[in-house]
Amino acid sequence: MPGGAGATLQAESIHRLLFIFLLATIFVGGTTYFLIFWNLIKYRRKDDRVPPQFRGQHLIESVCIGTAVAIVLVLFVFSNDVEKFVDLDRPNALVRIRITGFQWSWRFEYLGGGPVITGTPASPPTLVLPIGETVHFEITSADVVHSFFIPEFYFKRMAIPGYTSGFDLNVVHPGVYRGVCGEFCGLDHAYMNFSVSAQSQTAFAAWLARERPARARAP
Amino acid sequence: MNATTAATLPVPPSKPLGLLDWLTSTNHKQIGTLYIVTTLGFFGLSGLMAMLIRADLTVPNNPWLGRQLYAEMFTLHGTAMIFLVIAPFALGIANYILPLQVGAPDMAYPRLNALSYWLFLLGGLVVMSGLLTRDGAAAAGWYAYAPLSTTGAAGTGQDLWAVGLLMVLASSTMTAINLIATTVLYRAPGMLMWRLPIFVWDMIVTSMLILMAFPPLAATLAGMLIDRLLGGHLFDPSHGGSAVLYQHMFWFFGHPEVYVMVLPYFGIVTEIIAVFSRKPVFGYTGFVLSTLAIAGLSMSVWAHHMFTTGAVLNPFFSAMSFAIAVPTGIKYVNWIGTMWRGAIIPSTAMLFSVGFLLNFLLGGVTGVMIASPPIDYWANATYFLVAHFHYVLGGGSMFAALAAVYYWFPKITGVTLRETWGRLNFWLIFIGFNATFWPMHWLGLWGMQRRTVTYPDLPHWGTLNLISSVGAAVMFVGVLVFLWNLWVSLRWRVPAGDNPWDGFTLEWATTSPPPEFNFERLPPIRSERPVWDFHHPATSAP
Repeated sequence: MPGGAGATLQAESIHRLLFIFLLATIFVGGTTYFLIFWNLIKYRRKDDRVPPQFRGQHLIESVCIGTAVAIVLVLFVFSNDVEKFVDLDRPNALVRIRITGFQWSWRFEYLGGGPVITGTPASPPTLVLPIGETVHFEITSADVVHSFFIPEFYFKRMAIPGYTSGFDLNVVHPGVYRGVCGEFCGLDHAYMNFSVSAQSQTAFAAWLARERPARARAP
Repeated sequence: MNATTAATLPVPPSKPLGLLDWLTSTNHKQIGTLYIVTTLGFFGLSGLMAMLIRADLTVPNNPWLGRQLYAEMFTLHGTAMIFLVIAPFALGIANYILPLQVGAPDMAYPRLNALSYWLFLLGGLVVMSGLLTRDGAAAAGWYAYAPLSTTGAAGTGQDLWAVGLLMVLASSTMTAINLIATTVLYRAPGMLMWRLPIFVWDMIVTSMLILMAFPPLAATLAGMLIDRLLGGHLFDPSHGGSAVLYQHMFWFFGHPEVYVMVLPYFGIVTEIIAVFSRKPVFGYTGFVLSTLAIAGLSMSVWAHHMFTTGAVLNPFFSAMSFAIAVPTGIKYVNWIGTMWRGAIIPSTAMLFSVGFLLNFLLGGVTGVMIASPPIDYWANATYFLVAHFHYVLGGGSMFAALAAVYYWFPKITGVTLRETWGRLNFWLIFIGFNATFWPMHWLGLWGMQRRTVTYPDLPHWGTLNLISSVGAAVMFVGVLVFLWNLWVSLRWRVPAGDNPWDGFTLEWATTSPPPEFNFERLPPIRSERPVWDFHHPATSAP
């Protein structure tokens, strides 16, 4: 199973969901592969006799359709349950950050008079987040479509010009995480990176106090 | 209709075709052949681009191809494989085979058919001609999201891309009309709709999808050209346009297009598996109905490409995408049921069909995973997605296309391809394909995003990418073996006869290659397998 259990509450639930899907995949894929190989070996042509010329078997077909419907229904229920949590959008959270993607870096604006951090491809910005706290993000783009992607959070959201959407993250583990652009956005797409520094709430509060009043870093 | 000598009538040898005959032909067999050869040419070109991409990614932190050229290569590789290879190859096979399978002398509108082909060739060349312009070919990816593609850096290559694709769309639309008209109007006496070969059914449904889905893309591309050349702002948010609208319009075409690229190949492997299991298709009616269900559902799942926009009702599109897995999964019941209790002949065509079954299944189950929005938040736009759609279109459609070449080559050329080279060809491509794309599942879940000219040296990333590039090289050798097999078989000819596989459908009732108007006589058509019934009267239809 690739990746750890995830660094946010959202990532943990997505990771559990992927595990359920992998189990279903192994069941469906394994059964199908077994039947393909079993038929290939058992019914390989041995002589010139013409095999029985039947055209179907309603019971088998119906049972298979029923099984398939049941499997996807169960998977949808699990998936929708996780999505309801992952898609929570709470604009009244204490920490609110506005993300703006541009060619080819990111701008993070801590709403309510906090700092504004603007990066360049050469000096990628750092997004500082508190752990154990709901952080609300709103995201848009200044030019073309980008995508805010933190692999270890198992999460991405497109930054679309002329359109703002919101999402929440609850970081669980402190640490430094890699962030990239997930949507091709022109020549320097590969270098549109940022890093995420997840800190304890006290460290985050101290950082916020240091950075206030809002001032933009280079350039 | 007297059928006693149907399959063995002597046909006077026709004189070989000259260049002028090929350029001016309105015969479906010449046009079909031109389509097939042209798409193989674009396949080679597009495959070489893929080799450049893999070469660039072989080791970390080594963007030797350069950012601009890399973007042009992945844009043209995707565009060519989708619009100039996978979809039109099926149209080429249908051009040649469908009139034969329904017992018709030609397509319904032969001159429209010729126009379709030449417009397709011209459109493909216009797309590629961007490579000759000063600022390079289109470089915004095959789905060319606005406003990256409509403003800013994109140059003349982007205009040529849109104009060329408009030609290809017009060409495909005319071919779709032609295929439907041929099937509806030109079926031989006794060829009822419920006796049509599965391949014909799948081409009918594909054609309906083309008629529904291609006009929206034409509108999108027209909008792109209006924005780019006439100062419009349809997709430009800074002047009141909408970038989200572009995505909706593109994927409203884009998802049905996926089924345009797989349904014909479902039909091809169904025919081949049945013939080489020496049994009728298991669950014919269910197969046709599930194909229609796929077509219907495929019109209502487009926004699953937009889960990460935050701009669509994810649960609805997720539910529809899960639903489409059911009729697609049912196909496996048909295929396995067809092999069940059969007498399976492991020819090269059958090997490629089995390869299709194995690969497409993996593409299908990963498709169910990313139909779940939370998993898509993780996997979308990563190499997991790249692996997913290559298993569908490369491991699926491409394998079925190669199966089609091995299966119908005797009918089209009169000679069989060498089975020994065929086996080598299969194993090289099968192993190479899986070595290339299997590691990408891991890379994607570890967070390697797609379309980057290079990547950092994180644990195992270099190793997995190296395996992937070596796999691509193995596949390349496999394609060389395929070309060698074509050459050897055409140079040192082994006559195939009219019906080398003990086939089921009407193309095997005429000579190889067929005469100009296809049939001197037809066998009686009393089931979906008229030629089998004719040769095996004791086991014929109920």
